[in-house]
Amino acid sequence: MNKMLNLMRKFTIIFICLLCMLPFVVLLILSLNTPKRVFYEGNMFIPDFYVMNYVEGWKKSNIGNAMVNSAIITIIALAIIIIISAMAGYTISRFNYKFNKIIFAILLSCMMIPGIINTVPLYTLMIDLNAINTLWGMALVCATNALPQGVFVFSGFIRTIPKEIEESAIIDGCSYFTSFWRIVFPLLKPSISAIVILNGFGIWNNYSQAVFFLQDSRKHNVPQALSVYFQQFAGAKWNLMAATAVIAIIPVIIAFLLFQKNLMKGLTDGALKG
Amino acid sequence: MEKNKIGLHTFMALPAFALFSVFFIYPLIKGIGMSLTDWDGMSKASFIGLDNFRQFFGDERAINNIRTTVLFALGSAPLLNLVGLIYALLMNSRFKGKGLARMIIYLPAIISPLIMGYIWYLLLQPGRGFIYHFLEQMGKSSWFGNWLGSYGTAMLVLILVNVWQYAGMTMVIYLAGLQAIPEELYEAAKVDGATFPKRLFYITLPMLMPAIRINVVTNIIGSLSVFDIVMSLTSGGPGYATETLSIYIMRMSYGARTGYSTAVAIIMFFIILIPVLVSMWLTRVKSLD
Repeated sequence: MNKMLNLMRKFTIIFICLLCMLPFVVLLILSLNTPKRVFYEGNMFIPDFYVMNYVEGWKKSNIGNAMVNSAIITIIALAIIIIISAMAGYTISRFNYKFNKIIFAILLSCMMIPGIINTVPLYTLMIDLNAINTLWGMALVCATNALPQGVFVFSGFIRTIPKEIEESAIIDGCSYFTSFWRIVFPLLKPSISAIVILNGFGIWNNYSQAVFFLQDSRKHNVPQALSVYFQQFAGAKWNLMAATAVIAIIPVIIAFLLFQKNLMKGLTDGALKG
Repeated sequence: MEKNKIGLHTFMALPAFALFSVFFIYPLIKGIGMSLTDWDGMSKASFIGLDNFRQFFGDERAINNIRTTVLFALGSAPLLNLVGLIYALLMNSRFKGKGLARMIIYLPAIISPLIMGYIWYLLLQPGRGFIYHFLEQMGKSSWFGNWLGSYGTAMLVLILVNVWQYAGMTMVIYLAGLQAIPEELYEAAKVDGATFPKRLFYITLPMLMPAIRINVVTNIIGSLSVFDIVMSLTSGGPGYATETLSIYIMRMSYGARTGYSTAVAIIMFFIILIPVLVSMWLTRVKSLD
């Protein structure tokens, strides 16, 4: 009986995995077919291995430029989130100042407000700050969206670190500020990878706010560049569209493979304990 | 730890608070003011009181947007949690290839939902999509329908695609929660002869409450503010049938109705706030002794 159940469980998991991969496989097949091939004629699972789609998709779309933009935005935003929310998380979890409590309460209550709510007034602010169509402006917006969650995760994690760890450094004449950077910050790795995974891909893929703040096509990010390119062809050149989508997905998958080992650890140690 | 000694550590929360004030709280308050005007984004705005809100509730398209958004969330959020939990329970044991399976199931969640929408569009397109051809080769082309072309099936497709994409993310949070449950609890329950359903309802689910809370709240917020996937799969069509509130806000703002679009955003804020508060109250952690 137990063996049967185990076998059924295995088949279910395999089925779920296939379901998750199917669209990617179809995309890959489409991207490797020649433009002349009528959709899926013959054996639809064997493509023509025609790589010119990739060359043409790369040249005609704005995807290369957009990937650079997305990368810059993501790296700046993540750096800001990690540095300032780790700092805030430290003082909030270690010192009982009244304004620390107030700041934490404000951040937590704003955690459930999605970015789209204040996008329109934010747009007018961005114009005043000359931050429209700038990568730094978009990075600051993305960092702000993730800030409450960041402070929440870091303060929760720092609470689990014993205070004695810094205490000896304080006795040696170190300030709390320097001992945070030297001693506590290096211990935050699991929370940092949780933050990177939970927010990094969302920032890279941000579309709903990029539509407002990055209207200049030279500043387009990945989803925007793809959407412009796809709309140009309006369903006509599928193979090119598929190849461009594959190009756009590759860096994301590589980043995921690099970080996913820390994903579970980051979640169990960081996000859930908070 | 000695307190109240003022030093740099006293002010370490200030950078976060400053950034948040400028880019979040200030626009939020400014938006309330803007929602009471007829501002078009360029010329001088004049105060019109609650006219924008009146206009919203008198607009058939806007009311339909609320219905679509809420219907999407009602389908998507519970289903995501259920599927994610089932996946997690299936995956919560040691077996060969567990890491690989977990990675594959999480994979769709890292791809842009906009791209995901386009991919599913390529699969579902009538007459030449992958699914049509697959059914045709099997001799069952009559099973195929123009699912994106009518309201009911288009909504179903949107919900299923969203669940398909984010089930992995929900699963991973639940898996992390399951791993935090001490093994001794299950062993004690087994000794006492508790069956699987009993163990599920008396140990697993109560101990999983923090993970349930995170998942329920994020899924409610995510599905009520859905944007990308609708843009690429149906762009709100047919007509405005599957247009959601966040798309409506974007289109109104593009259409130089800045004041009105901020009013819509405030209405959307309350549509999100109420279910979030209710679910946070329902999933509050009772002290376990």
